[in-house]
Amino acid sequence: MMSTLTMLTLAQAADGPTPPTFWMPVGASAHASNVDSMMWWINLIMWVFLVLNTALTVYFVWKYRHKVGTKFRTDGPDHNGPLELAWTVGPLLICVVLFVFGFIGYLDVRTPPKESYDINVTAYKWGWQFKYPNGAQSDDLVIPAGKPVRLVMRASDVLHSCFIPAFRVKQDLVPGRYTYLWFQCDYPTGMDQPTDGHHLFCTEYCGTGHSNMNRRVFVLPQDQFDAWTTKQANWLDEIPEEELYWKAGPKLYARCVQCHSLDGTKGIGPSWKGIWERVTGGEGSNGAFADGSTYSSLIGAGKQYATAEDFIRASIYNPGEHLIQGYGNVMPTFKGQINDKGIDALIGMMKKLDEFDPKTGAWLKTLPTASAK
Amino acid sequence: MTTLPARPAAPTYDTPESDNYLTHDKGILSWLLTLDHKRIGVMYTVSVLLSFLVGGIFALLVRTELLTPGRTIIDAETYNHFFTLHGAVMVFLVIIPSIPAALGNFVLPVMLGAKDVAFPRLNLFSYHLWIAGAVCTVVSLVMGSFDTGWTFYTPYSTTTTAGGVIPVIVGVFILGFSSIFTGMNFIVTVHKLRPPGMTWFRMPLFLWALYATALIQVLATPVLAITLALVAVERIANIGIFNPAMGGDPVLYQHFFWFYSHPAVYIMIVPAMGIISELIAVHSHRQIFGYRFIAFSSVAIAIFSFIVWGHHMFTSGQSSLMNTLFSAISFSVAIPSAVKIFNWICTLYKGSISLNTPMLYALAFIVLFTIGGLTGLHLATLNTDVHLHDTYFVVAHFHYVMMGSALIAMVGGLHHWWPKITGRMYNEKLGMIACTLVFIGFNVTFFTQFMLGSHGMPRRYYDYQAEFQIYHVISTIGSYIMAGGFLLTAMYLVQSLVSGKRAPANPWGGATLEWECASPPPYYNFHEAPKVGDPYDFSNLHWDERGEGYVTVKPPAAKA
Repeated sequence: MMSTLTMLTLAQAADGPTPPTFWMPVGASAHASNVDSMMWWINLIMWVFLVLNTALTVYFVWKYRHKVGTKFRTDGPDHNGPLELAWTVGPLLICVVLFVFGFIGYLDVRTPPKESYDINVTAYKWGWQFKYPNGAQSDDLVIPAGKPVRLVMRASDVLHSCFIPAFRVKQDLVPGRYTYLWFQCDYPTGMDQPTDGHHLFCTEYCGTGHSNMNRRVFVLPQDQFDAWTTKQANWLDEIPEEELYWKAGPKLYARCVQCHSLDGTKGIGPSWKGIWERVTGGEGSNGAFADGSTYSSLIGAGKQYATAEDFIRASIYNPGEHLIQGYGNVMPTFKGQINDKGIDALIGMMKKLDEFDPKTGAWLKTLPTASAK
Repeated sequence: MTTLPARPAAPTYDTPESDNYLTHDKGILSWLLTLDHKRIGVMYTVSVLLSFLVGGIFALLVRTELLTPGRTIIDAETYNHFFTLHGAVMVFLVIIPSIPAALGNFVLPVMLGAKDVAFPRLNLFSYHLWIAGAVCTVVSLVMGSFDTGWTFYTPYSTTTTAGGVIPVIVGVFILGFSSIFTGMNFIVTVHKLRPPGMTWFRMPLFLWALYATALIQVLATPVLAITLALVAVERIANIGIFNPAMGGDPVLYQHFFWFYSHPAVYIMIVPAMGIISELIAVHSHRQIFGYRFIAFSSVAIAIFSFIVWGHHMFTSGQSSLMNTLFSAISFSVAIPSAVKIFNWICTLYKGSISLNTPMLYALAFIVLFTIGGLTGLHLATLNTDVHLHDTYFVVAHFHYVMMGSALIAMVGGLHHWWPKITGRMYNEKLGMIACTLVFIGFNVTFFTQFMLGSHGMPRRYYDYQAEFQIYHVISTIGSYIMAGGFLLTAMYLVQSLVSGKRAPANPWGGATLEWECASPPPYYNFHEAPKVGDPYDFSNLHWDERGEGYVTVKPPAAKA
């Protein structure tokens, strides 16, 4: 019967992802049918015992109800050797079988094939960075269909966990060590709509933005995938210098928005509002740092940072160096994730913040001064 | 003082006495500095129930917030504080002390026919430590609370900016000692104060359970104390133990933490199982089925509890070999649990069952623990756990065991011994209604969460996808029903104190020793050393119309 069930799920899998059921979400990986049939069997065991126990309990309570004042029955047995042996050995056998099948399925989940496609993953508070072998980067996970994919994962601050329900896989990301996860999905999802693809969740509690670490997993046919990685690897290079700050700026700022507002709202980190004035000796340049220094004591010729650009670059690459008073050391480093051209784009954006929507960070093609008239 | 003081002229046992432990001394200090185990038990009970109210309010706030995706009533940071407080209060202040320290303190010496526990001063000290721990939690709230989850996982707990982490760690550290002292006290009491004639296998099963629990408390809790001390050292002195940024290892923390906290799960459930054994035997008025199997399964669970901690870490980065071993060993806990369930059901067979509030709670326990236990199979099995780990499935599973089983047993036990503790009967009809409300509310709340989890909803989420909302709404409605049930319980219990009928010595027809002394018990528990018989021999008990309770009739009279 086990094989019938497995064949049934495999037959469905051949046509496309298994549809969601009463218990399980859509199943789109090679592991999914395995896990689902295991769930099916354990659920069966659960229902059998639940119904049996509840029915016996209710029946006995009704059948042997006691009328106040009558004598107590004394004919109930106080033990029964064979029966007790049976309900010790029976569950033991069930457990052994479950362990063995669970173990076999687990070996598959933990053993990636040799020729897998590697994607590097960094989780940080509160987002994901996916890096592909050709240097492409993305915030959502994009994978090729029909190919085993291995995620080589690390965390840059605290524990995180990568969970893709549709693939039935999960693995913690631990700062200070690499962990990995593998899966294969044969069914392309496309990536035209934000609702295409599957969920990817963080399942290890990591603070305020924990529940916003959800991303999508898009599955593309190999040729589309290759085209996408190529385009993705070069997107920053293709933007001309003069368009950089408004084309690349908002796109990069999307990684900062969770902590840094543009409109002066205090977030996890300080707002960007007025940042260029502060770092160039204008209004707010006497703002205090936790170590007692100020913007103007740090930035300038002959000081720690010769230029304001130097200071901002350092703040993105080594955020813990100078903490602004009232804010904790929670920002991860973006070294290796945002290159110099990206830093240029962000600095360009900071210089002209009034050209961007203070809520969304989108570039306002008509300047606010024009509309204010 | 291990011998019973001889007191002349014992009054009849089934009339309320003017001199009982409640009226023996007067004034607030006579309570706060008492050495009487019964008064300490009552103070524990009141404190634990107040904490339950606080933890419950946090739970309702969390459930209300989850009614809609995004913000409903509070922001993400506040939400993180609230679910953390709910967990920490419920685990450390409510469930761990609820049965051993609160009910156990009251019942254990009386069941043994003893005057008090072996070390009454230590007993009082452990209650004072509990108070100190609770005060630390309040201090933590004032200093900015904590958002680490009740598990204090590093490096989040050593780097979070929340201001109340250190005070609460100190609080949990102190509560640990309170728990250790209670455990030591009970071990010595069971070994040394059993009356002549009460051999190990003539002990009521609740005492076996408390004994097994005490062993875990004494052996496991020090590890928690050490672990939390290390977290504090890392946070205060920046010595790298768990934080990789300072050369530590966060997975090491998880090993330390679960080495205590998995056994702690059994500190919560084993005494609950003991209560259920009593409730089912007494209200079925029949010899318990498979006494030795139940007794040994308590001890077996206590032993297994120390070697399964790694099943909390199947996706933590621990090696596959370790995961395999821990999965195999974890299944072993299922066997003694199943044995207990089957024995309880067989005790109902050919019994004389009185269906009243404590019994209804015991029956609710059988159903809820069956679900809670069997969903443990999903989580012990390796490949299904990889999918279900850290989702609402786990949340539902441990609420079925910790709340649906441990707390339900505690409430059942409270109803069972309420007449003994307070000397008053509560409104039986309201009791049954409240129990039904709690049972229905509980299942609506938490069965839904199994489905949330298996569909992929991670735990500890403030915001969620629209597709999960329907489950969250149902779950929240369930939690309100449950709250209604508990509110009703609080109302009729308080009402019983004011205007409840006076309780007879033996309202249920129990054969253990606590039913032989008056309700409430006299200061010294027994006026003369009680005669020890079979704790589950109900053949000599007869219903007494006038006293509306049961009286023991000596065998010669029974023959007539």
